[in-house]
Amino acid sequence: MRIEKCYFCSTNVYPGHGSAFVRNDAKVFRFCSSKCHKNFKMKRNPRKVRWTKAFRKAAGKEMTVDSTIDFEKRRNVPVRYDRELVQTTIKAMKRIAEVKARRERAFFRHRMAAAREKQRAHRKKMLETTKGSVTLHEPMVVESSEPTKMREKIKVPVKAKTSLIQGEGRSMGMDID
Amino acid sequence: MIGLKSTLNVIDNSGALLVECVNILKQKVNNGWGGVGDEIVCVVKRARPVSAAAQNSVTAVKVRKGDVRRAVIVRTRKSIQRPDGRIIRFDDNAAVLLNNKREMLGTRIGGVVSADLRMKGWGKIVSLAPKTYPELRLNA
Repeated sequence: MRIEKCYFCSTNVYPGHGSAFVRNDAKVFRFCSSKCHKNFKMKRNPRKVRWTKAFRKAAGKEMTVDSTIDFEKRRNVPVRYDRELVQTTIKAMKRIAEVKARRERAFFRHRMAAAREKQRAHRKKMLETTKGSVTLHEPMVVESSEPTKMREKIKVPVKAKTSLIQGEGRSMGMDID
Repeated sequence: MIGLKSTLNVIDNSGALLVECVNILKQKVNNGWGGVGDEIVCVVKRARPVSAAAQNSVTAVKVRKGDVRRAVIVRTRKSIQRPDGRIIRFDDNAAVLLNNKREMLGTRIGGVVSADLRMKGWGKIVSLAPKTYPELRLNA
């Protein structure tokens, strides 16, 4: 059993999921979903489609050089089952994931700090350019001479009770056939 | 999904290049559609020109345009699900020509073939092919 990577978006493809396309030169393309398959059929380049891992890596949005990434790779060497090895591997995987998450967070924070700096500079520049063309006015004050009239309340006399007896369950209107 | 009038590439060295399906043999369950491993009757639509040397020899089989031959489907464009759950699709429809004894006309195969053929009793074709997908694991 092998967990493959999607050709288009690089997510994991577990056995029984997704589909594979075999080109005539025997190159195999695996897809996680029909979405990725369709994008491939449209001849889109995964490096130019923004939601793929390939794009994010190419655009510097994710870590590309890190020792934690190197652990996950294709090893075409069959290993005999060893209980202890499995246990240590699982332990290592958890630890590596922890380290990776922390580094990713640091990377994100660093990236965002740089982006914020850039945004600020951009705004400042925009302000400089628009300064000459925009003149600010003071808000006009409208003085109202007449005081606002108060609304008078009108008393409506409450109707006296009718002496009519309400129909018991029947409608009071006229019946029309 | 191979049916009447489907055209298939021929990937052996029998001399034919393109064949058109005229009948699917012994396919009663799939509404007349043929898949990988199914035998078909086909008409040769395009063939390599027969060289003078081959024309003179008695033993060599000559496949010419217009011949009616039998063939076995080795690749389909329609995706198929394997018993282990994976879904596989190929680039084109392809076939290999056969003689009346269900043996290959050619001696070589160029191109990838589906490993489903082995399941369906075409082990010879699989062993001749330069590549199969999914790859065969002989030690497994």
